[in-house]
Amino acid sequence: MALEFSPETYKKFEETVARYPRKEAALLPVLCLAQKEFGHLGQEAIEYVAQLMGQSPARVCGVVSFYTMLNTKPIGWHHIQICRTLPCALRGAEKLTSFISKTLGIEVGQTTADGRFTLSEVECLASCGTAPMMQINDDYYENLTDDKVTEILASLK
Amino acid sequence: MDPIKLTIDGKEVATTKGKNLIEVAAEIGIDIPHYCYHPKLSIAGNCRMCLVEIERMPKLQIACNTPVGEGMSVLTQSPKVLAIRKAVMEFLLVNHPVDCPICDQAGECWLQDYYMQHDLQGSRFQERKEHDRKREVFGPNVVFDGERCIKCTRCVRFFQEITRTNELAVVNRGDHSTIALFPDTVLDNPLSGNVVDICPVGALTDRDFRFKVRVWYLQKTPSICPGCSTGCNVSVETYQNRIARFKPRINEAVNSHWLCDEGRYCFHDLTGGERLNTPMIRQEGGLVPTTWDKALGAVLNGLRGAMPLAGILSGRNTNEEAFLFAKLMKRLSPDCALEVFYQERELSEVQKILMSPDRSPNFRGAREMGVSSNGGFEPLMRKLCESHFSGAYVVGEDLLGMDNDKDWIRQALQKLSFLVVQDIRMTETAQLAHVVLPSTHFGEKEGTYTNRNGRVQKLNVATIAPEGAMQDHEIFIRLLDAAGERVSYSTPAEIFDALANEVPAYRGLTYTAIGEQGIQSGDGQDSHDR
Amino acid sequence: MEKILLRNIDVPDSHTLAVYSSRGGYRPWEEVVKNITPERLIEEVKASGLRGRGGAGFPTGMKWSFVPKDSPKPKYMVCNADESEPGTFKDRLLIEKDPHAIIEGTLMAAYAIQSHTAFIYIRGELVFGANILERAVDEATQAGYIGKNILGSGYDVDVIVHRGAGAYICGEETALLSSLEGGRGWPKVKPPFPATHGLFGCPTVVNNVETLAALPWIIEHGAAAYAAIGTEKSKGTKLFSVSGHISKPGVYELEMGYPFMKFLQEDCGGVSNGRKLKGVIPGGGSMPVLRPDELEKVNLDYESVQAAGSLLGSGGVIVMDDATCMVRAAWNLARFFAHESCGQCSPCREGCHWMEKIFHRIEQGEGRKGDLELILNVSGNIMGNTICPFGDAAAMPAAAFIKKYREEFEEHIAQKRCTVRME
Repeated sequence: MALEFSPETYKKFEETVARYPRKEAALLPVLCLAQKEFGHLGQEAIEYVAQLMGQSPARVCGVVSFYTMLNTKPIGWHHIQICRTLPCALRGAEKLTSFISKTLGIEVGQTTADGRFTLSEVECLASCGTAPMMQINDDYYENLTDDKVTEILASLK
Repeated sequence: MDPIKLTIDGKEVATTKGKNLIEVAAEIGIDIPHYCYHPKLSIAGNCRMCLVEIERMPKLQIACNTPVGEGMSVLTQSPKVLAIRKAVMEFLLVNHPVDCPICDQAGECWLQDYYMQHDLQGSRFQERKEHDRKREVFGPNVVFDGERCIKCTRCVRFFQEITRTNELAVVNRGDHSTIALFPDTVLDNPLSGNVVDICPVGALTDRDFRFKVRVWYLQKTPSICPGCSTGCNVSVETYQNRIARFKPRINEAVNSHWLCDEGRYCFHDLTGGERLNTPMIRQEGGLVPTTWDKALGAVLNGLRGAMPLAGILSGRNTNEEAFLFAKLMKRLSPDCALEVFYQERELSEVQKILMSPDRSPNFRGAREMGVSSNGGFEPLMRKLCESHFSGAYVVGEDLLGMDNDKDWIRQALQKLSFLVVQDIRMTETAQLAHVVLPSTHFGEKEGTYTNRNGRVQKLNVATIAPEGAMQDHEIFIRLLDAAGERVSYSTPAEIFDALANEVPAYRGLTYTAIGEQGIQSGDGQDSHDR
Repeated sequence: MEKILLRNIDVPDSHTLAVYSSRGGYRPWEEVVKNITPERLIEEVKASGLRGRGGAGFPTGMKWSFVPKDSPKPKYMVCNADESEPGTFKDRLLIEKDPHAIIEGTLMAAYAIQSHTAFIYIRGELVFGANILERAVDEATQAGYIGKNILGSGYDVDVIVHRGAGAYICGEETALLSSLEGGRGWPKVKPPFPATHGLFGCPTVVNNVETLAALPWIIEHGAAAYAAIGTEKSKGTKLFSVSGHISKPGVYELEMGYPFMKFLQEDCGGVSNGRKLKGVIPGGGSMPVLRPDELEKVNLDYESVQAAGSLLGSGGVIVMDDATCMVRAAWNLARFFAHESCGQCSPCREGCHWMEKIFHRIEQGEGRKGDLELILNVSGNIMGNTICPFGDAAAMPAAAFIKKYREEFEEHIAQKRCTVRME
């Protein structure tokens, strides 16, 4: 198999599995590890993880496809995830999404041609008091205005 | 075993602790509609069709996952229950395609059946239906239609719990949930066909049976699979005198609810091809048609003049036929070599769930009837190849159809001074014979098979043999008669009752007692073999 | 009012062990693990009247007592930090600012059921919070509060921070367990119940972050002190997350029973931008909306909100002003539930998406006569007939919006457009 964990990641994999009372419970953290390592969880990556965990690839596919944070297709360098649920919608999330969409020149679900940004809409991120807001990769950006957004996007290489 | 008393629809039921409502209701003839529940699989509880009302409980409860409780009062026909069944049917039909006219499941589809029994209302869904993959080939025997699927997960659980091969999984979420194989994999495990049986709708259908015939035209005959000595109980389903498909019959002592793929489709090879419809005799230039009298006369004369004799019976011949064959051959030559065809092969772990390593469904019965003298089939074949015999009577097997030693066997057969072949087709072996007798296959027979574990089970006639062919047992009776032994029996039932008197392991058994689930030979007690 | 849950969050570096300890942190845990029996601990928590703060409001002590003491199987304690209910962000605040209170509460809960392995299941999106929790667990382990023979008591317990991967349904306790077992977040049929057959089929208790964070204070001050706060059946304090068209959004801690209108108008500064109140959801996106005229006598406790026809739930207060299109609001939530439905059982899998499609059609100006009755009927068919409460959570708001704003819906259908404007 062409796809493999690097020795450091493999070590992390072993440590992760060792933390749990049963190996199968480590599947989600191992999948996150694989996603970080390989960029996304394509067919090869899923087969690899299935082999590491001793499970059928079909079963692992079933798990991967259930969770929104696990990507089966490659995404841009910066994954912009705008919350669209009611509290944020009440505070202008839709306008914000249009603004970002126009600024980047892509629709929701698309990635910019240079691969820098992918634009998604997501559900409630537990940040309703500082709406409207978005998550880009690991970070929350709250109390957004058009100006703030422009600044943020410019700062992301 | 704690006893429990409860009431279902006003009927008092005495049962034991640990059972669930749906089982107990079924035991007293109340069929609670359901999709995802299957007695041999874990509880999923996702279809919600079996919701019933239990007094003193505010919410309806699923009968498949409610353990019986002392004093419970269950209503399966209350207004609430009738209403929720309509609601669940409506939900299941929201994204269901209107495929009935082209769907093989029509006529045995649980959506259709429950609609007629419990619904009969139009759907109020007026939006765009979700779409999914259609006609996706999962494997050599199974086709998938994602739109018809109701996500009951019976198929997924079957491969998780019964075969433990885990080929299928539910993927995605919400109403995009669907059943899928991992890309670039194939559903080809030896028991794959069973998911077609357990799929309540037309989501998983049989490729072999696809578009062949509408199920309501099928005639269904209970019988036994002739594939191997496990003796799985089957329903032989025919249309216009041809076998269209096998379906498993439930027998907890043998095959539970299952049937292996090899057995499921074995009828093609065992019944296909051009049939013999007249006895044939060898003259200058080759085999020519003849009459039964002439043929049977030639058989007796030929065998008598070709000692030592060997007799090879097919593992697919019944106990009744084996009993008569042994009687006939021993009359002609008391020390003749007699064996039933028997070859073993390696089985994979999944195959071992159901299959036996042979292809001789009645090898045990045949041996017990006396078709056993030389310490096994392989030794007899070796002796044949060493030209130990002068004459041979081969029934129902194409010895030249065996892959190994074909040339040796051909030479040996050609060296025989007299060869009789009794079969349904002009096989390669038959082509070398001096007399060829046209007979019947398992689907045309009535009689019994004894499986590997000694269970005596009944075959029934599913198709009528072509004119000109004769039942094997009739041929043997005629030969016995011509050889000077007139027997008092003629039908399989009479033959069985006669053999039960002579064969120790069958003493006390009667043909009528066999029924559709079979009986155990040996000490005559029913035991659960599987 | 003395702050219980928010007592530490305004202190700089409140998330560190140094600050937490300096404010008396882990001394209640020390007391528990050395001097209080599990039975007594359960009795104390029962006496406090503490109820689950995730949304269901089940008495915490009673939940613990369902775990069979003599089961030979290992027992598991799980802290539910999968906060995903729309309008709710209180757990996140505690995770980021007072992780040690959560950890200390988790340890106590584990001890009460004699579990030696505790998990904190945190939603994957809260990366910052998860990192803080992990660091806090390390600190507590190094200080000897977690691990083997804790403080010489002979009791062992390990705490594992486990990150989710994006699924609202994993906040439902049995779905959380399915996910924690390494599977799809599918709720489990009951019976059996998690108390006897939970994680890996072993006795398990799942408690919400806020519930656990209250435990150290309860042990320190005593059950009676906690029970003295609040109402007869809703004891103690609760965190309310306030969002939407409100002047001062944020997390507030109130004594149970605090008057709802007073809270909105005074503590939260009233509806923002000088507008008028049109509706408020009191307990997170799953709960029925309440009109202003229904709020007069409502107090923020379980019983009062229930009497008004809604539920306290997670305490996620979503405020909507008079420029809000209720049709669009209803559709927004219907879309949320359609997106988050796990798809396992037929009423929810098909019904949630069906309702979303109808709401969307109405919102877009293509509503038809009979649509409203249809949604109400579909909602009624889902309620109570699903594997887990998600079905109810989707059905209730759909029905409530139509019932409470019927005229607006009918206008929207008749006029084929919104007759109000949303922000």
